[in-house]
This record gives sequence, structure tokens and C-alpha cells, in this order.
Amino acid sequence: MKIAYYPGCSAHGTGIETDQSTRELCRILGIELADLPDWNCCGASSAHVVSSELALGLNARNLAQASAIADEVVTPCPACFNRMAEANHHIKQHGAPEKAGSIKENLEVRHVIDLFSQKDMLKKIAKAATRGLNGMKVVTYYGCLTSRPPEITGAKNPENPTEMDVILEALGAEVIDWPLKTQCCGGSLTIPKDEIVANLSNQLYEMAARAGAEAIVTHCAMCFTNLERQWANPVEGDHPEPLPVFYFTELMMLAMDPAKAQAHFRRHLSDPNPLLSARGLS
Amino acid sequence: MVVGAGIGGMQASIDLANSGFKVFLVEEDTAIGGRMAMLDKTFPTNDCAMCIISPKLIEVGRHPNIEILTNTDVLGMDGDPGNFNVKLKRRPRFVDLEKCTGCGECAKVCPIEVPNEYNMGMDGRRAIRKRYPQAIPGGYAIEKKGTSPCRDACPLHTRCQGYVALTAEGRFDEALQVIRNQLPFPSVLGRVCPHPCETACNRGDVDQPIMIREVKRFLGDRALELGSTIVPETEADTGKKIAIIGGGPSGLTAAWFLRMDGHQPVVFEAAPEAGGMLRTGIPAYRLPREILAKEIRYMQDIGVEIRTNTRVGKDVTADSLLKDYDAVYIAAGAQKGRSLPIPGVEGDNVRLGVEYLRDVALDKAPTLGRRVVVIGGGDVAYDVARTSLRVLTHQGETPEVHLACLESREEMLASLDEIVEGEHEGVIRHNSAGPVEILRDGSGKVTGIVFQKCLSVFDAEGRFAPTFDENDKTTIECDEVIIAIGQQADTSFLEGTGLENILERGWIKGDALTFETAIPGVFGGGDIFTGPSIAIKAIHHGYEAAISIDRYLRGEDVRKDREWNPMLAPKPDITRVKEQERPKIRMLDAKEAIQSFDEVVQVMTEEEAVAESKRCLACGICSECGLCAEACVAKAIDHSMKEYEQTIEVGSVILSPGFEQFDAKAIGEYGYGRWDNVITSLEFERLLSATGPTVGHVTRPSDHVAPKKVAWIQCVASRDKRNQRNYCSNVCCMFATKEAVIATDHAGGDLKSTIFMMDLRATGKGFDEYCNRAQEKYGVRYVRSMISRVDEVPGSKDIEVTYIGEDGKPVKEVFDMLVLSTGLKPSESVKELARRLDVELNEYGFAKTDPFKPLATSKPGVFVCGVLQGPKDIPETVAQASGAAAVAARDIAPARGSEVVPPELPPERDLENEGMKIGVWVCNCGINIGSVVDVPTVAKHAGRHGDVAHAEGVLFACSQDNQEHMKEIIKEKGLNRVVVASCTPRTHEPLFQATLKDVGVNGYLFSMANIREHCSWVHQKTPDKATDKAKMMVDMAISNARQLKPLHTQAQTLVHSALVIGGGLAGMVSARELADQGFPVTLIEKTDRLGGNLLHITQTADGQDVQAFTKDLIRQINEHKGITVYLNARLIRTDGFLGNFESEIEVKNGDNRRLKVEHGATIIATGAKESTPGEYAYGHSDAVVTQLDLERKLADDRDALSKLKEVVMIQCVGSRNKERAYCSKVCCSQAAKNALRIKELSPSTNVTVLYREMRTYGLNEDLYAKARKAGVLFLRYDLDKNLPMVTPKGDKARVELDVPRMGRVTIDAELVVLAAAIEPNDNKSVSEILKLPLTADKFFLEVHQKLGPIDFASDGIYMAGLSHGPKPIDETITQAEGAAARAATILSKEVLNVGGQISVVDPDKCAVCLCCVRACPYGVPIIDPEQGAAYINPAECRGCGVCASECPGKAIQLQHFTNDQIESMIEVLNEEGTDVG
Repeated sequence: MKIAYYPGCSAHGTGIETDQSTRELCRILGIELADLPDWNCCGASSAHVVSSELALGLNARNLAQASAIADEVVTPCPACFNRMAEANHHIKQHGAPEKAGSIKENLEVRHVIDLFSQKDMLKKIAKAATRGLNGMKVVTYYGCLTSRPPEITGAKNPENPTEMDVILEALGAEVIDWPLKTQCCGGSLTIPKDEIVANLSNQLYEMAARAGAEAIVTHCAMCFTNLERQWANPVEGDHPEPLPVFYFTELMMLAMDPAKAQAHFRRHLSDPNPLLSARGLS
Repeated sequence: MVVGAGIGGMQASIDLANSGFKVFLVEEDTAIGGRMAMLDKTFPTNDCAMCIISPKLIEVGRHPNIEILTNTDVLGMDGDPGNFNVKLKRRPRFVDLEKCTGCGECAKVCPIEVPNEYNMGMDGRRAIRKRYPQAIPGGYAIEKKGTSPCRDACPLHTRCQGYVALTAEGRFDEALQVIRNQLPFPSVLGRVCPHPCETACNRGDVDQPIMIREVKRFLGDRALELGSTIVPETEADTGKKIAIIGGGPSGLTAAWFLRMDGHQPVVFEAAPEAGGMLRTGIPAYRLPREILAKEIRYMQDIGVEIRTNTRVGKDVTADSLLKDYDAVYIAAGAQKGRSLPIPGVEGDNVRLGVEYLRDVALDKAPTLGRRVVVIGGGDVAYDVARTSLRVLTHQGETPEVHLACLESREEMLASLDEIVEGEHEGVIRHNSAGPVEILRDGSGKVTGIVFQKCLSVFDAEGRFAPTFDENDKTTIECDEVIIAIGQQADTSFLEGTGLENILERGWIKGDALTFETAIPGVFGGGDIFTGPSIAIKAIHHGYEAAISIDRYLRGEDVRKDREWNPMLAPKPDITRVKEQERPKIRMLDAKEAIQSFDEVVQVMTEEEAVAESKRCLACGICSECGLCAEACVAKAIDHSMKEYEQTIEVGSVILSPGFEQFDAKAIGEYGYGRWDNVITSLEFERLLSATGPTVGHVTRPSDHVAPKKVAWIQCVASRDKRNQRNYCSNVCCMFATKEAVIATDHAGGDLKSTIFMMDLRATGKGFDEYCNRAQEKYGVRYVRSMISRVDEVPGSKDIEVTYIGEDGKPVKEVFDMLVLSTGLKPSESVKELARRLDVELNEYGFAKTDPFKPLATSKPGVFVCGVLQGPKDIPETVAQASGAAAVAARDIAPARGSEVVPPELPPERDLENEGMKIGVWVCNCGINIGSVVDVPTVAKHAGRHGDVAHAEGVLFACSQDNQEHMKEIIKEKGLNRVVVASCTPRTHEPLFQATLKDVGVNGYLFSMANIREHCSWVHQKTPDKATDKAKMMVDMAISNARQLKPLHTQAQTLVHSALVIGGGLAGMVSARELADQGFPVTLIEKTDRLGGNLLHITQTADGQDVQAFTKDLIRQINEHKGITVYLNARLIRTDGFLGNFESEIEVKNGDNRRLKVEHGATIIATGAKESTPGEYAYGHSDAVVTQLDLERKLADDRDALSKLKEVVMIQCVGSRNKERAYCSKVCCSQAAKNALRIKELSPSTNVTVLYREMRTYGLNEDLYAKARKAGVLFLRYDLDKNLPMVTPKGDKARVELDVPRMGRVTIDAELVVLAAAIEPNDNKSVSEILKLPLTADKFFLEVHQKLGPIDFASDGIYMAGLSHGPKPIDETITQAEGAAARAATILSKEVLNVGGQISVVDPDKCAVCLCCVRACPYGVPIIDPEQGAAYINPAECRGCGVCASECPGKAIQLQHFTNDQIESMIEVLNEEGTDVG
């Protein structure tokens, strides 16, 4: 099974762990990823606010490259996913911009959680695991970009997504339901209005702790960064103890290839080691 | 025909039936009552919904002119108005309503529990059920989707789902009995059956099929282990003898069932032991000998005779059997092995599989060579191979056993279990191997076998036609070859008997359904019939043959109803089914297994069997286990009922299919379906209800603790563009308020309720007052805010709601429970119904109607009422139902009375000189009464009275056959009083009274004792005392009976015409309707022209010309021959009563003249008017006008209006304030409509609407949305916070208003339009003349705000239009049509029957104290000056008895409840009361 792969910019920087772990997982699970040969920025955060034409054009160029490779393109970044899906949706209804090149009518844009949470894939994942997650208590945090708007993201249950839940449960984690799965993380406000992000991430930590979680698992580099900001730059005052944060792909790696997973954890600001040793996973 | 039997459909049916039409009431459910029957209380009166709907249910149920068709769908319709043919699908109920008594024993035994839709799935109900306790029809019904695939796949059609369901409930004995009813060998088949049922099982689509066979084995083994020795009772001996040739599964099964039928079967078995292939073919490691022996012994216990070592043809001749027996069943099996035509097959060490197995089974096995090749790929081949392994091991060899077959592994016939177990045990499999030659050495000893590669086994048509590759040969070295490729029957015993003719190609030829052969009395089945097959098939033959033989012996039709032609269940919805592994079956370790013939597969534990059974998806819902049919004493259950189509001729059709709630799951953000404590308003209603899942105690779903803080969210999928539900659902504001009030009441005040809403839309009569009371008395808090988040608090499972507070800041508030007021929508099935009937729907799925014809659909002759026409509450639905009845009757008015056949009764017997002869019937009610109260004793006790001529206990007093029995006894013994001791007279008295009347006994000579509710139900734990009490109650009823006198009603003629008071819209519509139906009408109008308020309105919301409509209507009235109009006329006086009114009318037309009118019914349509505002500078500035003024300007001054720059509209001017608490209902829609009209004239004109709540209810919400889109500005004000101020400013008016978060808004408007309140006309004189009550607001007060929106407490007088309360044009027309329908129920009668159970005054005792005059709720008693005493008109008296109890002089007696009767009963109580608890 060959799938076009769009890493996106965060894969080269803040979210490098998601890219690496996704590639490693696909290799283990027998999914052949073919990188877009000359991918460009998806325009997230800024392009679509400034110019809808630019937002469409940037993504159309990427989608044309994907079309040359496969029937579907997958990305580990929710923002890229959202922008590409939006463009793909627009193109399906109104046609592609002239210079974009040929884009397949049946081209599908997917996020890796969709790829890994399919029923047959779950069986493969369970088989590929060399050890379980020993009942580690986690809450899953999806943010907004893979769930909304559902007519574009194709989210089956935008208010209560469960893709990460089923994967982690299949690997033996205890996934706790909590109300803030799709709560806002503050997005790019971390630069202009840091106090908003601080407030929102503290709300997330507080609720996660009340729900009884030992860690927060996400799939989004932006959410990850915003959650970890409390570790880097704690807000003064009576705030909950921040919890370790993981990408779900890292926890999958932890079950399949623990040594490689450990290499990722070293980049985290949040320290997962006390939890991992408590759960016998270090 | 009325389609949909909710409150709307019921009311329409009653009105039509009462005015002389035959009504077919079609309902898709099993009972009528619809949604209203699910409500706890109703607003604004807080009446119990069930208490007020119940009399209507009973009225519909008993009405001779209403035929209720439940479980029925409308398939289509053709024809024209007046002559429709409606095609119906009648789905089976599986319960005969004629026989069902509603005792409920069936539901007690039913193993299937499914979510109870009556309680919104919050508890369970059985597959056989009554929708709710008071349901009409009262009979039970089975929910059956169809036969489950497991049962269908089983050759014997065993009721797999049934015994699995019973096992899941731990009811093992009953489960086993369900199996045994068809299969006498549960333990045996629980081991050897290749279970086609499991192959068919739908659970396989989820994970793995249910282990039906293992469950069966568990049940069978459990009984054997417990030594269950219940010997079933056989039918009485018939003396018929049947010879059964062959003691295998087929023969033994036939023997078992023939013996059960009372015959004497004799089984002839050639082998030393019975069992056939079960004994000699299947190895003991699969089926232990003692298991088979035990199950066979069980047969002998009931008297089956088995003669072993008796070979027919040798030990007895077939001829002698034919001669000596009444019938013969040949089931000799296929015992001979088939060989292979290849070189080397002849000689030693080549054996046939079945023969080898038989030798082993009978301990005659030869010694085997070490290396064995078994040829064959079926189960027998595996039996041989695995047996060989054991024999060789026993011999002390190291076995080498090969199994070679033509087929590939996938094609092999052997079951997968066998292949896998064989592999574990060491069988070496060779697929696609075609045997060519058996090699032998010089001494003839087998040395090996040569195979060639088989390329394909079957040809394109699937026939056996193997092809080989001759060049690909292999040789397997071996010492033994055992061929297991098939069997044949040994039919030599038939030779020379004349029975050879029944053979064809070596098998018995016969009927595949009945198993008859060409020779009468000779039947055949099992392997000898079809060729070798599986045991369950042979058993099926035996089972069916036994039925045939029994029928043959009894001389009945052998073929009748034998086809297996079931309605199959569709695949169940598995989207929400969680995967769950089946239990692992324990098996002997392979190495250990081949050491002996010990059983390999072990039985499940009880826990495993129960858990496994719980995985069943219950595909058919009903499992067809048959327990209900066994439990039903009345024999009402018939599982063989089939669906059928029926065509009914009708004149017109009314659609009232009701609504469903929007699925709250579709709105994920409120967490419904995710958070436990978020529920819908209808679910909350069921929690409030005494018949609900919590018996009326409101508790949270998560922890069953009573909530202290509950919030409601309004407009969940109402006024919601995203979900294509732009309209307002109309009822939710009041519904939520009522729930909050009732919940607070239930909680003894210890509950705080909050309702989150956009506008509080309490538009109906008395609704605003209700909401005010809710706030003041019950502390209900209304918060005007949309909810932005709903979260569950981890741990406590409380619900945290985030909303924007009045100050614009987010607020977080935690509640124990959240209720979603989900919107109403037409049910999904309505779309299909509309398509079938060619009825147009609007974009939301409501029926398209015209504001001037609100009851007519787009299809002529098809009318509509209830929510299908638009979201509405119960009173409007009821008014609309009556209206629909009127318009539906118009087309078919000439047919009135033609389809209705009055029952003919024999003349009443003269009892004058008869002595007292009382008959007493005491009912067992199945076992409902009989299991507690000792019915025979009670009956005997009753019989000891000298004047009791007959007393007996009966199974069901109300059953049809007992009614006939009672009639016979009454006639035979000349009874003249009847007492029935059973259930409640409320439901059953009229039934027994009708029975009495049928045999010429006055219906009032009947007395009833309720020994079910009052004895067996409440004293269940003390049966002795219950019996004593029943005796006493029967004595009381007998004593009462002695006092009974025959009562008679009198027929009274009536005037078939009506008086309509008021010539506005309502009056004109009512008059026209009645006149169209042939009833003359006198219409009086106080002004000099017809039209009323209609004259001032110019356009409807959808742009239609009101004036054109008005002119046309006035013309119709003036031209109508049946209508006499008096203008400038008023009512002076009315005398008389229902059917015979006489009124005096004063007409001021130059000369004042007075005239008298006789009429049978009266309709009040006196209307209302726009009030004159005293505020907002009205009258002080020409710029300030009312909405009616604006209507005129919009018609006449369009140019001037289009030049305006600023227009302000102020709502609620004079409404909803201290002076008038009520809402004028029409103004918000009118403002939105007129604002839009101004915007259409001049888009640049600013229109600002100052409002308190925008009450554009129902589909009017579209107007509001359209106005906002057009740029109309809506600003809210509160009465006590920021009342707008208007001051004249030149030719303009300055409007000022403080707007929260906006500051002070000042508009200098050229036009300020006031929505002046609607106030009633002077209704005082009419109310005094007709003695009709008024509300505090001086509108007329209806008899019941919920179910009597048109009627008064006084019969024969009805109301319509604004005199009842503010309402728009379409609702006025609806109510006016409804008033006509109500009046027609009286006017259509030939005569009125009066009297009977009414109050009668004894003038000699009357002291003229006026107590009765004051007490009577209907104002009936008057003081007759001639007699000098009170007089109660029999035509008006309702028989309630209030006057009789109030009368201090005991001058008034309520007939049938006289003082003598009551006292005589109390005396009995005194006599016997001391010894009864």
C-alpha cells in the first residue's frame, strides 16, 4: 500500500517527533510512504486569512504532486491536513486553479490518525506491539483541526473523536473520557497573546488531572507546543501540576520499538520518565 | 379514514363517528394514544395526561362506529374525494384480540427483553407486551421482525434463538423444554450436530457466531447430570400401533412424537443396541455411549418399545408389519459403505469406513496395520482416521494415519472442527489426491496407494466431475486402506413384499413434505430417504413423519399447513455491538486424546453458557420459543399469523400521524448519548411519570440520586438553521416550564430549575400566567442565553454549562442534570406516507396548507390535523382534529348514517312479577385473580344466598365465549339480576351490560365487585384474607343487586339547526360548514356588516390577499340557502337545552323587531377587538398608530410609507402587563410580516422592532428570520427595566430606549406602530344569557383547556375564534370548523336519548334550599315555580351525583346509586366487617 506523504514544516522543527515516529510506524506496519517531491508550505495560520486564492493555490500545488503518486495523501500535521482537506473539498466542488496541474478527482486527504485507526490496521498494530502500555492512564486531546468543520474533515463524531482512543486502547492504555477533547489550545496566540494560551493550557491540565489522567496525548504539534509551554515558562500562582505530554505516535512506538521511542522523549520539555518508570515502561 | 391514533386522530374519529359516519382509525403501533399517552402532566392545568386521555381512549375503543386498525400501514390510495380505495398493510399482532384478555401471563414467561420505547428506552420490556397499562386495544402484541436465521437454517427448525434467550436468563429447564418440544436428543445433537444454525448466525458479522450447539449440549448434559426424570405426559392412548423400521435418530424421533400423541410405536432395530449411526457410526470420543443410552432410555420411559437384534426381513418379515400395524415408518438408514472401482481394491486390508466404525463400536474391530490411508474428505473419513489413531495406539503401535481426498482443503465436506482436531491428533492430510491404484506385493499384502493430482472436483454447473493430471502421481506407502467416500442403503428387506415400488435408484421415494410413500400408511425418512446426511435432518424427517402418521391415523388432512415458509428477520443493526470473544471450549490434549476413546470436547460451564447466550443479537426480536403460547390460558397466541393487504373504501382521509423528537445525538455539543446526565425532555417526562421507569421518582441516570439542580436547554434543533430546523417547535417553552414545575413539586420544593432559552414563547391561553406562577411559586429561573459549552465534570458526572451572561461575560454553572428540549419534527415514515397519498410537504416535512384552508392538504379529500400541519400543542391539535372532522364530513355528508348499523336488541323482559333470581360469576382472570383469591370458594359462598340461582367461577368473565355462556344461563334459569366479581367497572361494566341487553334484561340490573384490584392485587401476600375480602365484596354486590331497578332512557326529538352568534371570520366559517352539511343556520351579527376584524387586515404572511378572501366568504354566506343572516342583531334570551334551544333575537333595523329562533346547537363567535392604547403618546401624535392602522396604510398609503426613513414598532402594548396578563399571540408575527412589507416597499427605510419576546411561534419563525435578514432591527426591552419612551416631536415621534451593552438608543421616527393588545368584546351579556363562564380576562372559558378547547360544560354550545382567546386567521378557521363538527355531532342525531343514570328530585321532600343549584357544575337544576321544587332536566343531567350528595333533605336520588343501594351495601359491611382484615 503506497500513500503520498506530506510532512509539513513542523515535521522539520517543533514537531519533528511526529514525522519520525510516523515514518517508523509506517515502516513497521508495511505502509509505503512516498514524499511529495517538491512540497511547499500549506499556508496554515496565515495564508487563508490573507488570501483565499493563495490558500487554495499553495495546497493545489501540493495536491497535484500527490495525485501523481497515489490516490491518497497523508500528513501527520493537523493544520496541514485541515488546509489540504479544505482545498481538496473546494476543488472537488469548483475545480482546480488553472496553474495547479492535474489533481485526481478521487484524491483523498487523510491525517495519520485516520490511517492508523482503521479496523484492520488496529489488528496489525496490536500484532506489531512488543509490549503493552501497562494501563497508563491518559486523556486524548484532539484540538480543533482534525474534527472541524466536519463536512470538510469528514470527522464522524466531531464533538467526541475517538481515533486515538481506539489505538491506545488496543495497545493497553487506559483512555479516560474527558470533556475537553476538542477544546481550543490557543493556537498561534502563543506568540502575540501568551496569557490566553497559558490560561487555556492550565484549564486543560486541571481538567485532565480531575479526570484522573497521568498524561495528555495529542496528535498536533501546535497543541503539543502550547501544552508544554507551562513546563517551559510556568505561570505564577495556584495552578495544577502539568502532566507529561505525548504524541500518540510516540506511544505507539513505545509499544513497538521502545528504544526509538526513548530517543524522541529526550526532545520533550515535559519529562515523561517518572511516569514511564512508574508504569514499568522506561 | 383517520391515519394516526394520537389525541388528534382520536378526537377526529370521535367527532366523525358521533355525527353518523363509520370511521377506520389506522395506527401503525399496537395501541392508540400516541404521544399524549406518554406524558406525565399537561400544561397549563397540571392535569395528569393519562387521567384525561383515558376516557377518550375508552370512548374510541368502545365506539361501535370506530374500527381501530392497529399494526397497520397505509400503502396507497386511488379514487376521488368521496370514493377512495385505500390499500393497507395489516401487520400481524400474533395475538388474537378477540381472545386476549390482557392478563399478562405471556409477558411473564417471555425471555426476550428489548428497550421499552414507551419509556424512551430507559427500561426494558418483553417481546410480547402491551404498550402501556391502559392501552387500547387492551390485548398484548408480539414484536416479531421475523424468524431468526438460526432457526431457518436448522433442518428441524429448532427454536435456537428461543432456548439461547432462555439460557441467557438462566432459565435452563424451560430452555431445555423448548428444545425437547422438537428434538428428543439435546445432549446427543449438542455434540454431533454440524450446526448449520451457527453458520447462519448473524453474530458472525460482528465477531463469531453464537455457540448454539454447545449451549444445547450444556442444557442437555445439565439435565442428564441432575437426573431430570420428568416424564412428559402423553396424550390419551389411541390404541394405534406403528412399526418403525430402524432405531436410528429418525426412527426414534418418530417413535417419541407418536408416543406423545398417544400411539404405540414399536421400533425394530437390527443391531444389539438402538441408536443407528449415532451408536455404530459416530465414535465414542465424540459421543460417549452412556449419553446416547441415557437419552434413549428416556424414550423408553414414556413407553416407546424398542426391539433390538431384530432385523426386518430376517427376524420379522416386512409383510407381517404391514399386516399387524396401523402404519409403518421405514428409517433403516444407509448402513452400507461405498467402495472404489480401482485396481487392488479387492482383498484384505482394504475396508469400508462405516463398516469399520461399526466393528469398532461393537467391539469387533480387527487388528490394524501401522500405516493407514483413509480415502475420503467428509466427517466419516475423519471419524475413521481418528478412530484408527486410537485403535493403533491401543495396539501399542506408533500410528501413521493419512487422509486423502479429491477436494482442496476449502472444498472439503468435513467440518472445520474435525479437520483442525484431526490435525492436532496427527492425521496427515492429502488434498487434491485422486486414488488410482492400491498396490499389493506378491503375497497380496497392501503396500501402498498411488494417487494422481486432482485438478478440479466439480464442473461449471457444480456437478461432481473430477479432472486429473495423469502425469502428477504420488505414492503413499501403507498397510491399510479404509474407504470412506459414501454410503448406500440396504433395501434387501423390502424385496418380495410389494414395497419395492417405493424405491428409486436404491432410495425410498416419497413426499418431501409429508414423507408419505406411494403406499398409504407407509412412510419413509432419514438416510434411506434422501441418502446419507446429517443427524438433524434425519430427526427432522422423523418429526415430520410423526405428524403425518398421526394425522393419517386420525383421518385428518396430512398436507395442511406444512410448508416452511417463514417471514425472515432482517439483519440486525450491529453498528453499536461491541466485539466479544466466545468462550474457549476445553478439549483433551491431542496426545492424551488418542490414548483412549474418552470424550475430547468438554461441556461449557453454566457461567459460560449464560455469557455466551447473552451475545445473541435476538435477530427476530421474538424468538418464537413458544412459551407465551403455552402460558396463554385463553389460547389467544398464534405465531403463524401472516401479514396481509386489505383495501378499504372510504369517502375522505384525515392524516394525523403525529411527530417524533429530533435525535439529540445529532447535536454533539450538548453531549447527549455521551454524558449520562444529559437527557431529552421526553425522557424527563417519563422519569416524572408514575408509569415510568423510576415510578415517578426523578433520579439522575448516572447514580440514581435525586437531582437538586436541573437545567433545560431550549431550542435543541428548533430555530436551528444548521440542522435545517428553522422553525419553532411551539410547545417546548411550556413543556419545559411544566416539567420544571412538576419536578419541583415532586421534590417537595427541594429542586432548583433553570431554563436556558432565547425567547419565552408562552402564546396560548393561560400560558403567560402559568409561567409567572412557575417563577413566583416554584422558583423557576429563565436565563436568556444560548449555551456555548456543555461538559461533564469528571468524577461527579455533574454537568457544567458555559453560557454568556447578561453582562456579556462567560458564566460557568454546574447542574446535576441537563434536559434538552429537542424539537418536534414529522416522523420519518410520514415522508413515505405523503408520497403514497400524493400529499405535498413543505421543506421541513410538514404538510403544505393554505392559511385560508388550514385543514386541507394539496390532495383533494385528504385533510390534516396535529403536528403534521405544523408544530403545535394539544389544545390546538384537538381543535384542529374537530375541524378536520368537519371538512372531512363535508364531501361525504349525504352518506351520513348509511354505514352505521344500530344494534337490534330483543324487547326487554317484563320482570314485574318475577321473584329475585340472581346469577353470580366470579372471574379467575386467567390466574390474575385465581392465583390469590380462592375463586371456587367465593363462588360457593355466593351460592349460599337463597335468591342466588346460579353461581360459578369462570376463567375469563369477559371472554367472548363466556359472554355466550352467560346469555344461555340467563335465559335457561330466568335470571333477573347479574353480579360479576372481576375487575374494574370503569372498563368492563358496559360490556356486561350489553350482554344483559342482548337477552332482554335491562342493563342496569347489573352489579360488579372489583376483586382483582381490591383483592388479588393489593393482598397478594395474604391469599386467605384476600379471599375473605372477595367474599364480602361479592355479598355487597349481591345486596346491591337486590335493590337495582330497571332504568330507561327516553328518546327526545331535536331541532336540526344551529344559531351562530357573531358574523366575523369564525362565525361565518362555522355557519358555512354546517349549512354545507345540510344543517340550517341562523347567523346574527351585532354590526351592520359581516366580516369583523377580517375587514381590517390586508395581507397574510405569505402575501395572500385577505380582502379578496373576505369578500368571497361574505358572498358565500349571503348566497347560501341554508343560512339566514340578521345584521344589527343581538341575542336577548335563550331557553331550553341541548337539541331544543329557543332564542329570542332583537334586530335593530330601523324598526326594532324581535324574533324567535329554534335551534339544536349554539356557536359563540363573538370575537374580540384591538384595544386602544393609553401609552406611548397614542392619540397625541399622528405618527403613533396601531398595527391595524398600519395594515390599512399598507393597502392605501403605499407611496407615503415608501418615503419614510425611520419606522419603530413597539410590541406588547397592553399585553402581558398588570392589566392584561395574557399574550395577544398574533402581534409578533404581524410585526415581522409588516416590517417585511415595509422593507419590500422601501429597503432603505429603517425598521426597528422593540419587543419583549419574539413570539413568532411554529412556522412563523421563518418570518422573523426573513425580517432580520432584510435588515429589520430587533431590540429587546423589559417591562421593569428599560421600558421605551415615546414623545411627540413635531410630526415625528421620538423613541428612546436603553439597550444593554449598547447604551441609549434614540430614534426620531415618522411612524411608531404599536402592537395593541387584543381585548375581548363585551361577552358579559351573552355569557349571562347562556350561563357560560368567562375567564378572568373576559374571554369564554372552555370546558377543559387541554381536551375541550371548543366545548363548554353545557352541552350543545360551542365556541370559536377570538371570543375564546387571541389567535391568527388560520387557527380561527380551524377552530370554527371544529365548532361546526362538534355541533354536527348533535344535529346529526335522529333523537337524543336522555335519562337513565341521572338525578331525580322528589318534589315533596324539596325545601328549595338551592344547594343543588349552586353545587351543580353544569348549571342544570332550576327551581320550577309550578311545583315549588327543584327540577333537574333529564336531557341536561350528566349523572355525576354531586347534587344528590349535597341535598340536605335527601330529596335528590341519583338513579342506579340510590341511598337504598349504598345503605344495603354498608349493612353487609357491618355484618361481616369484623372478621375481615
